[in-house]
Amino acid sequence: MIRFSRASVTYPGGVHALRELDLEIGAGEMVVVVGLSGAGKSTLIRAINGLVPLTEGEVTVEGRSVTRATPRELREIRSRIGMIFQTFNLVKRTTVLNNVLMGRLHATPTWRALLSRYRPEDVEIAMQALERVGIVDKAYVRASNLSGGQQQRVGIARALAQEPRIILADEPVASLDPPTSHVVMRDLQRINRELGITTIVNLHFLDLARVYGERIVGLRGGRLVYDGTGAQADERVFREIYGRSLTADDVLEASPAA
Amino acid sequence: MTAAAVRASARPLRPPQTKRNVGALLVLVLVAWAVATVDVDVGRLADLPGSLVGIARRMFFPPDVDYLGRSLEGMVGSIQMAWIGTIIGALLSLPLGVFGAKNISSGVVSGVVRQVLNAIRAVPEVVLAVVVFVPIAGLGPLAGTLAIGVHSIGTLGKLTAEVVEGIDPGPVEAARAVGARPLQVQRWGILPQVSPEIVAFWLYRFEINIRAAAVLGVVGAGGIGGVLQNTLSYRRYDKAGMAILVVIVATILIDLVSGAIRRRIIEGASARRAAETEDPELAVVAATADRS
Repeated sequence: MIRFSRASVTYPGGVHALRELDLEIGAGEMVVVVGLSGAGKSTLIRAINGLVPLTEGEVTVEGRSVTRATPRELREIRSRIGMIFQTFNLVKRTTVLNNVLMGRLHATPTWRALLSRYRPEDVEIAMQALERVGIVDKAYVRASNLSGGQQQRVGIARALAQEPRIILADEPVASLDPPTSHVVMRDLQRINRELGITTIVNLHFLDLARVYGERIVGLRGGRLVYDGTGAQADERVFREIYGRSLTADDVLEASPAA
Repeated sequence: MTAAAVRASARPLRPPQTKRNVGALLVLVLVAWAVATVDVDVGRLADLPGSLVGIARRMFFPPDVDYLGRSLEGMVGSIQMAWIGTIIGALLSLPLGVFGAKNISSGVVSGVVRQVLNAIRAVPEVVLAVVVFVPIAGLGPLAGTLAIGVHSIGTLGKLTAEVVEGIDPGPVEAARAVGARPLQVQRWGILPQVSPEIVAFWLYRFEINIRAAAVLGVVGAGGIGGVLQNTLSYRRYDKAGMAILVVIVATILIDLVSGAIRRRIIEGASARRAAETEDPELAVVAATADRS
C-alpha cells in the first residue's frame, strides 16, 4: 500500500538523505525504522505524506502517486495519513480538544474551521479519539498544562481523529522518560492491532525496536541496509545498521511496566 | 608552563576602531551642517520662555469651563476616528502580515507584501488625509478615519509579519500533515500562537491613533483637532486651553487603561510560555521581567 521506487532526496545543501530507496509496506503492518541521527529516518517518513518532496523516484500510497499529486490530491492523501511527532507539535495556547479537532480539518468546510464551528459529529469523533488514549478528562484543558506523556497522547488522538489508514510516528518517544515511552509505544501497538492501521515508527532505541517492531527496516546514510523481522535483528544486525559497536546509549534500559 | 602555551594565550591586538571613528565624524559633520543651514532666528529663542508663559496664562488661567461640553464632544469624535481606523487597520493587516512572513509564504510573495507595507508606512496620516482621502471623501471624519486605517495597515502588518516569523514551526507542520487547506493552517496552526502579541499591538496602535486623530482634525477631519483649529483661528485661547486640557486628560486615561490591558495580555502569554517549559523558576523570572 506504500511503495518507494528508487526514491532519492537531496537537500539544497547537498545532503543525500535518501538514496535510491526501494521499499514496500503492506496494509496493516507495524514497521519500525531504525538508524542513527541523519540516516534518513525522518526524511523517509515525511516522504510518505509529501512533507518532504522527493528529488528523484516515486512514492505511492494506496496506488496514488504522492510525488505527482496536485496540492488538492496531496491534501486528500494526507487526510488518510495521521502523523505523530517527537516534539508533539501541539498548539500549546489552545485546548486539548481544539488540537484533536485539527484531525477533522480535512472534513470541515473552511468557514466552519475559521469560526471554530466544528460539526457535532466531528467533535464526537475527537472525543472518542481522546477516550481511546485515556485522557478525555483533559479535553478542555490547555495543551500547555499537560505533561510530556499526556501531550504525546493528544498527538496520537489528533492522528486518530483523522480516521486514518496509515499512522506515521517520527521518534514519538524520544522526548519521554522510559516508562512513559512504553505506554506510548503500547498505545501505538494497540491501535495497529485493533484498528488495523498501518503504522510506521522511527526509533533509535534498539530494545524498543526489537519489542515493538514486527518488521524492522534499517537505514544507514540514506540507504536501506536491513529489512527483516524484529526477532531476526540481533546485535550483529544493529552493528551493521549503526556502523559501530553498540553502547549503553543505544538502549532505553527500562523493562516495560506491567 | 611551556613557551608555546604562553604564546597561545597571548593577548589579542585591539580590533581597529576605524568604523566607529568614521561614523562619529560623519554624525558631527551632519550636525554642524544642519545648525549652519537651518533657518532659525536665534534671537527669538531668547524670548521663548516669556512667550510660553504668556500663552499658558491666556489658555489656562482660567480656561473657559463652559467650553467643556463642546471639547468633550470633539474628543469623542477623535476617539471614534481612532477606534474605527484601528479596526480597519487590524482586520486588513492580519492577512497581509501572514503573507508577509517569510516562513509562511514564498520568498517572492513575502518580499512584495513587505515592500507594499513599507510604502504604506512611509506616508504619514496627515499626508494621506490631505492628498488622498480629503479629495475622495471630502472634509470630515471619514477622510481622517480612512487615513488612520490605511497607515495602521502598514505598521500593524509589519509587526504581525515579524511575530509570525517567530512562531514554532511544529504546529504548522502538524496542520499541513492532517491535510488542512492553507486558510485552515493559518487559523489553527498560526493564529493561536500569535494572538496575544498581535492583540497587544492593536491596542498600542489605538493609543497612537488617538494622537494622530487629534492632529488630523487640524487639517479638516473634525474631532478635537477641528475644535482646536476653530478656537485658535478666532484667538480664543481660553477655549483652546479647555480643549487641550480635555486632550491631555483623555489621552492619559486611555493610555493607562489600554496599557494595563496590554500588560495583562502579554504577561499572561509569557507566563504561560514559561509554564510550558515546566520550570516554575523560569515562570517567575518571565513574570517579573515583564513587569519591570
